[in-house]
Formats: sequence, structure tokens, C-alpha cells
Amino acid sequence: MYNFLFYFLIEVFGVLFMILSFGTVLIYFIIMILSALEMRDFRRKNRFADYQDIITSPIAPGVSIIAPAFNEAANIVQNAQSLLSLHYGKFEVIIVNDGSKDDTLQKLVDSFALVKTAFAYNPDIETQAVRGVYRSTNKSFRRLIVVDKENGGKADALNAGINVASMELLACIDVDCILANDSITRMVRPFMEETNRKVIAVGGVIGIANNCDVQDGTVTKYRIPESTLGRFQVIEYFRAFLMGRMAWSRVNGLMLISGAFGFFKKDLVKAVGGYFPKTVGEDIELVVRMRRYMEEKNQKYRVAFVPDPLCWTEVPEDESVLSRQRNRWMRGTIETLQLHRKIGLNPRYGFFGMVSFSFWTIYEKLAPILELMGVLYTLVLILIGDFSAVYFFALLTMIYLLSLLISVFSILYEQITYNNYKDKKDLRRLIWIILIEPFVLHPKVVLWGLRGHFDFIMGKGGWGKMIRTGFKTAEDKKNIQTQTGV
Amino acid sequence: MNGMKKTKVLFPLLFLFFTAQGQEIDSLFSDSLQLQQELIRQENISNLSYQFRLMEEPSSELDSLFDFEETDSGWVSPKETDWAKLDSLHGVFVGYNPSLEYVIYEDIADQGGLENYLQTLIRTGDFVPGFDPNSNKIDLVLEASKDVFRPLHEYKLRILADYKLFWVTIIVLFFLITAALMITSMLIFKSQRNKRENLKKEYDELIIGPLTSLLFEKDLEEIKQISKLDLVEIFPEKLFDKPLFKQVMIERIIGLNKKMKGEFKDKLKAFYKATGLMDITRRNLKSKRWDIITTGLVQVNEMDLSELLQEVKKHTNSSNFHVRSQSGATLLNVSSTVNLDFLRDQKYPLSEWQQMNYLRIIKFVHNTKSLELDKLFRSENPSVRLFGIKLVRMLGRLDLLTGLKELSTKASDEEKIELLKTYETIGAHMEVDFINSCIQSENQELQLEAVKVAGQLGDEKSLQLIIGLFAHNPDFELKKSLMRSMYLLNPETFERYTKDQFSEEIVRIRAHILDPLLTHV
Repeated sequence: MYNFLFYFLIEVFGVLFMILSFGTVLIYFIIMILSALEMRDFRRKNRFADYQDIITSPIAPGVSIIAPAFNEAANIVQNAQSLLSLHYGKFEVIIVNDGSKDDTLQKLVDSFALVKTAFAYNPDIETQAVRGVYRSTNKSFRRLIVVDKENGGKADALNAGINVASMELLACIDVDCILANDSITRMVRPFMEETNRKVIAVGGVIGIANNCDVQDGTVTKYRIPESTLGRFQVIEYFRAFLMGRMAWSRVNGLMLISGAFGFFKKDLVKAVGGYFPKTVGEDIELVVRMRRYMEEKNQKYRVAFVPDPLCWTEVPEDESVLSRQRNRWMRGTIETLQLHRKIGLNPRYGFFGMVSFSFWTIYEKLAPILELMGVLYTLVLILIGDFSAVYFFALLTMIYLLSLLISVFSILYEQITYNNYKDKKDLRRLIWIILIEPFVLHPKVVLWGLRGHFDFIMGKGGWGKMIRTGFKTAEDKKNIQTQTGV
Repeated sequence: MNGMKKTKVLFPLLFLFFTAQGQEIDSLFSDSLQLQQELIRQENISNLSYQFRLMEEPSSELDSLFDFEETDSGWVSPKETDWAKLDSLHGVFVGYNPSLEYVIYEDIADQGGLENYLQTLIRTGDFVPGFDPNSNKIDLVLEASKDVFRPLHEYKLRILADYKLFWVTIIVLFFLITAALMITSMLIFKSQRNKRENLKKEYDELIIGPLTSLLFEKDLEEIKQISKLDLVEIFPEKLFDKPLFKQVMIERIIGLNKKMKGEFKDKLKAFYKATGLMDITRRNLKSKRWDIITTGLVQVNEMDLSELLQEVKKHTNSSNFHVRSQSGATLLNVSSTVNLDFLRDQKYPLSEWQQMNYLRIIKFVHNTKSLELDKLFRSENPSVRLFGIKLVRMLGRLDLLTGLKELSTKASDEEKIELLKTYETIGAHMEVDFINSCIQSENQELQLEAVKVAGQLGDEKSLQLIIGLFAHNPDFELKKSLMRSMYLLNPETFERYTKDQFSEEIVRIRAHILDPLLTHV
């Protein structure tokens, strides 16, 4: 009986893995096609867009740029100056000093002639205590607001910034990001264009600044990073931004807007209670919650994406730093998907619930576990002598080809659309990374993802009680709390 | 019928089966006699014995010799393993007709079964026949002609028989082909694009020189008279027929037109028409692709091609956002009498992007052309009415306040908010009753805006309403707005209501309002 059950399970797993493999192939083909169509349309639309008007037009919405800073004394003044020099008419820059241990605040005070004001801080969204709100006595820096608060993490700092923000749109960014001068004008466009649906958020592409030349806040010369890990991330970012997010944007299925560069409707962010400070994946969690809110209110909405290169950041080239980052991303994904598990395969949430959420569950959350199971399954087959080398190599070839295809496609995509990496040597190096990635780098990514799962199970970044704390402030969060039964 | 079909299929199968069996027997012994002689010669063969079966009851004498066992199918002698005795034992059965049975282990086998067993023993070396089974006594060609060719179906068909392997193979092949196609097509696309870019640069250089000298050397009338023959003298004939060359020329003319003024603009327009480029624009307007139509609209707009306005009008209610947006902008820009009917009759909501574009053009033309903005107040489309109200504010059209007053009587809350903003910007003190009515609204957003505007335009009644609301301990945002308006309307009242307060919130808001650095925050 047990013997039969064992072989039955082996057979079932075999079929499941086969379906998964073919499903993966099919889904990525669809993603490639959708992203190509979306990019084509975006470029066509861009031909007719005049961004100069937005800078001065009284109709253009105001933007509050919120940049949390923690121990950023080394570059904070330069970063603030860069943000203040953006080309846009109606905007303010809110830098939130999140209880830095260094002299971040003092440097800002000295450089921008800041004084503490009597600003009546309204904790519409609950945050750690705000010690003061600073403004400049110099009118040249009238757009700058500095919020000094007790340390509470990135999400908490962003929430404090949201409470202080006075404009219609929020631009939540990492303070060390390099923004193109025209980044606001381009990101604001989807909010202004849509008429039938409310655009609730707009995501942008994050470029990799390692080894690039930067002048006046813009990358002037692109070079790929020196390290293998850095180069690997260049390809990874191409795949994620130029393919994945473009495709999801076409079908209005975007679930993630990078925390380093995202624009949001302030009224809606406040309505859902701001960022959830107890998760490490506050960026994905906010977007999922906003979408969920709109679905439950039966309101037409859209999460848009702008593929123009407008924001750059330095990526970690050290393996331990990168592994911690991936571990955190995985925990953030698991926490978000767990918190909003009600959405999964729920027709009430339409495409978002049935497709986007399920895709994230299988291909982001469960991917490392499924890959581990695949390895174990192969080992079991070898042990019981049921291993078929033909199948194994056929499937391996198929998945390897898929990996090559997607990566090559994303590089070609970049070449056709933006052509930033002009040096042929850079291209050759990227192609080499593509060839070795499935064997050298991908197993590491899987391992880091598995560690993320393990850490989540072990309670690192756990959230049981903490959900209640974060969800107290808004009525809708209370609803979510009730629905999730937490 | 089905039975017939089955029989048809079965017969060839059975035929094949038996043919195959026959070939196996023939291959070792020519007949049963040769087989028995070989067995006798061997004397003992591993696990092979024989027995005799009688159909009639044996005599007592015979029975005493063999000790027969009675079975359902006759009388069976004990098994004998010594094949050398076969002939002598057989000789005992005088008057009987015994059948010889071969026994392999405990099972009775027929001659075919015995042959198979002996072949197995030959392969394992346990049986060495007295003749050479591989000896080639017969002509090889004749022997070969007897042998029917049998392909190894099991390997040939394995890929088809195994459905999993079949699908994996199909998918891998599909994958390889698709991947190759996609990458090839993208590489082709990129190379074509590069080629196109290079050609554009080349054409641009060929165009700019002659075009500039044409503008400076010929007067307007001469340019209007330019014929195709003249063009051939200026530009290479072969190139002039190429669509890309014409496209580059259009782009270059539009580029120059943006930078030039006065007569040069007229010359460029005349040249545009004389060279037949306007026909391309007309074709663009009739295209089915939205981006080509929009390109045509941009060309009409930039080159001021009023002759094509009728074509442009057809697109003002296009379902495509970019087409209707650009056609509206073109109509506003090119039309000599700016008729806002098309805007009033818009079916689709007006986006902020469209409003921004229209505002830029309207701002540009409203000093030189007569604009009947009040038409927009009567639109069925709420977004158009809202845009109309914004235009009054942004253009400072005080003459339209009467129209706004009419509109305010049936305005939605959203329109009322826009009206309040307009009154505040223009400084319309006469509308204080409207402002006061909005202060009492149930809509929080409208109420908040009205309180804010009342700070600038309010009267004593507004102040009383504000004090009334303040007494009801509203939320933070409204409280802050009420206190600021109270301060702006009457600082003494503000002092009276906010000084020496126990409410920590009011103290904080009061400090905020009095802080000179936070005047507009």
C-alpha cells in the first residue's frame, strides 16, 4: 500500500513539475509579447507628448517628494540640493530624518538655513513622535521641509512625510537615488491623462548607477558594474522593469512599485492608512492594499508604469549585502501575500485577484521552494532508479533556453528602446553573465529566497500583533484586519 | 460493421504473429525427428524431462513397468530425464499409440516451447548441440530471402509512445524556433532602425542646404509657382519619390517653421503645399492607425494648414485619447474664428492633460481672437464645464462672472469647489452669499474649500458661521482652516477664541498660524 502511494506521488509530482515547466514557458512568452506591445505604444504616445507645458501649467498637480534619511550625513546636503533642482513648477521636498545617529539634521540645518517652526503636526497616520518640522528662512529653499522624528523605520518615516505633505501627489523615493531633471514631469503624465479610471499610483524604472558617470543629477555615461554580481543585477533589472512591469502594466496587473521611486495619489494613500511600518516589504504591501481598497469600493482604477530611465541607484555588489536584500524582499513578499491572502483566486478582485496575485504567489513567493522540491524530486528519482536522463536534460535545456531567451530579449529591448549601454564590450560581458547566470548566480538567489522563507517562519520580521498596531489608524484597515482574521 | 473492421485488423496481426513464431522453430531443427535424435545424443539436459501419455488404459503388465498415473486426459508415465532411454522405452508400447510430452521444470511444453528453451540453453552455454546451429549450409542469399525484414519499432516509436517525452520535445523545438525567430526579428529590427537613422541623417544634410537657400533666394510668389521639374533641379529625383525622404523633409520644414517668423513662415507653408507634402498630411488624417492620424494632426497644427480643418473636425470626438486631444488643439490653433462648439460637444471626459494643452493654446489666442468661453458652461459634459470655470480663473475673465453665477445655481459640489477657487483668485467679494452657503454644505471637501475662501472674501456672516462650526470641535484639518480664516477675517475674534485654550490641539494650530514661516502652509 505504502509502496503504491509512494510511486503514485512520484508520478503526480512528475506531472505537476511538467505542467509548471510548460506553464512557466507559456507565461514568460506572454509577458514578452505584452511588454513589447506596451513599449511600442508607450513610445508612440511619447512622440506626441510635450513635457514642457507641465512645468509651468497651473493645471498640473502638485507633488510632495518624500525622502526618508537615516544616517545619511555624508551625502544628505548634495542629495537635497539635487531634489530641489528638479524641473517642475509645483512641488515640495520633504526630507524625513528618521532618528539618525549622525549629524544628518545638523548638516541640513546649516546648509539650508533651517529653523524649527511651530508646524502643527497632525498624525493622521500614526507614527513615531515627531520632534520638529524645519523650514528655511531663505526663500530659495522655500520648497524644502525637514521633519525630524524618532527612529521608526523607512515606512514610519514615509508616513510622517505623508502627514506633512500638502500636495495632491506623493513621490516616495530613496534619498540617495539620482533623479533625472524631468522625472516629475514624466511621472505625473499618467495621472493627468487618464479619464475613465483613477490612476492611483505610477511606478518608474530604477537604473543601476554603479560605475556610471553622473553629472547634474543625471547619468551621462552608462557602464556596466565591475563585479559579476553587479552585472547580474543589471540584467535582472532589465528583466524586471523593461519586461515584467511593462507587461503587467498593459493588463493593469502591477502589484509592485519600487520603494525607491514611486508616485501615489495622496488622498488614497491616506484613505488606506499609509505605509504599513511592520513589514519589510512596505512598498508592495501599500500597492496591494490600495488596489484592494479600490476593488472593494468597486471603483475603476489603474496602476501605471513609466519605462523611461528617470531614477538611478547603486546596487549592492557585495554578496552578503545582496543576500540580506533578497532575504528582506522575500520576507516582504511573503508577509504581503499572507496578509492579503483573501485576494488570491478570489473573483471579487477580478484580474488582480485571479492572475496577478496568483502569479506572485507561485513565481515570487513559492519559486525557491518549488525549485528546491524539483532538486529533491530528481534526487529521489536517482535513488529509486527511476531517473530518466532524457527527460531531465530535455527539461533542463528547455528552462535554460527560456532563461537565455528572456535575458537576451531584455537586453535587446534596452538596446532598441533606450540604447544606454553603447559599448560593445559591455554587451559582450552582459551576454557572458546571461550564459552563466542559471548555473552560477541563480542557485544563490534561490538559496537567499529559501533563507527568507526560513527567517519568516522563525519570526524574523514577524507581524502577528504588529498588524493591529499598524492598522489602527484608518477605518479601512480595520476592515482588512477583520477580514484576515488577525 | 464494427465486427467486420475488427476482423480486418485482427487477421493481419494474427498472420504476423504466426509467421514470426514459425520462423523461430525453423531456425534450429528442421523437424521433430532431428530434434529427438539430438536429445538422445545429449542423454541429459538440464531441467528437461519427458513422459508418455496413453489415451487408453494400459495393461497390468505395462502398468507394472511404468506405474502410470491416471489423469483426466489419460494415463501418464513417470518423468524420465535420461534421453538415451527414449528409443528403448518407446519400444515397450507395442499395440499402443503413446504421445511423447516434453517437460521443462514441471511444465509440459510443445515443440516450439522446447526449441525456445534449448535456444536459451545454447546462449547460456548449458547445451551444446551436436551440429553447428550457425553453419551456413544453405546459400546465404536464399536464406536471407526467406527472412522477413523486421525494423526495431520499439526504438523508432518510443518518442511517440511516451507522451511526456513527446511534449517535452515539441515544446523544446517550439521554443528553439520561437527564440530564434524573436531574436532574429529583433536584430533585423535594430539593424533596420540603425539604417533608417543613418538615412535620415543623410537626407537631412541633403535637404537643409537647398531648403535654406530656397527660402532666402526666392520670394513667396516664386515658391508658390514651383513645379515638380524645379524640384528635381533642387533635390535628387530618385530620392524625392522615397517616403522616408519626404518624411525627413516634413520634419525639417516643421522644425524650421517653429523657429521662423513672418514671411519665412509663409514661404515654408507655400513650399509645403507646392511640393505635395500636404497630400501626405491629408493621407495621414485618413489613416486607420491612431499614431499616423495624430502625426497628420500635428502637421496641420504646425504648418497652419487651414485647408484641412474639415478633416480635423472629424476627429474631435475620436475614441482615441491622443487623436481627439490633438485634433482639439489643432482646431483651437489653426481655426481663424476659434469656435468652442467642438469642446462643448465633447462626449468623452476632458483629462487634465488635454486641459493643459488647450489652456496653453487658449492663453495664446485669447488676446487676438474672440473666445466664447461661456459656451463651455452650457456643456452636457461635466469635465468641460469644470474646464470652463478654470479658464475664467486662469485667464482672469471677470466679464464671465455673471455666467458663473448662473452656473452656480445648478452646479455639482465639484463645480462649486472650482467656482470657489475661481472667486478667490479673482477676488469676487460679491459672491459671498454663495461662499456662505457652501460653508454650510454637508460635503466636507466643499466646506473646507469654502472656509478657506471665506478667509479672503468672507463677511460678518461668514465669521459667525465659522465660529459656529468651530464650536462643534471639528476634525484637525477643518479646525485648522477655520482658525486661519477666523484669523484673517478678524484677528481679535481669533485671539478671543484661541488664546488661553486648554486644548493642546488648538494651541498647536494657533502657534502654526502665527508662525511667519508657515503663512501658506
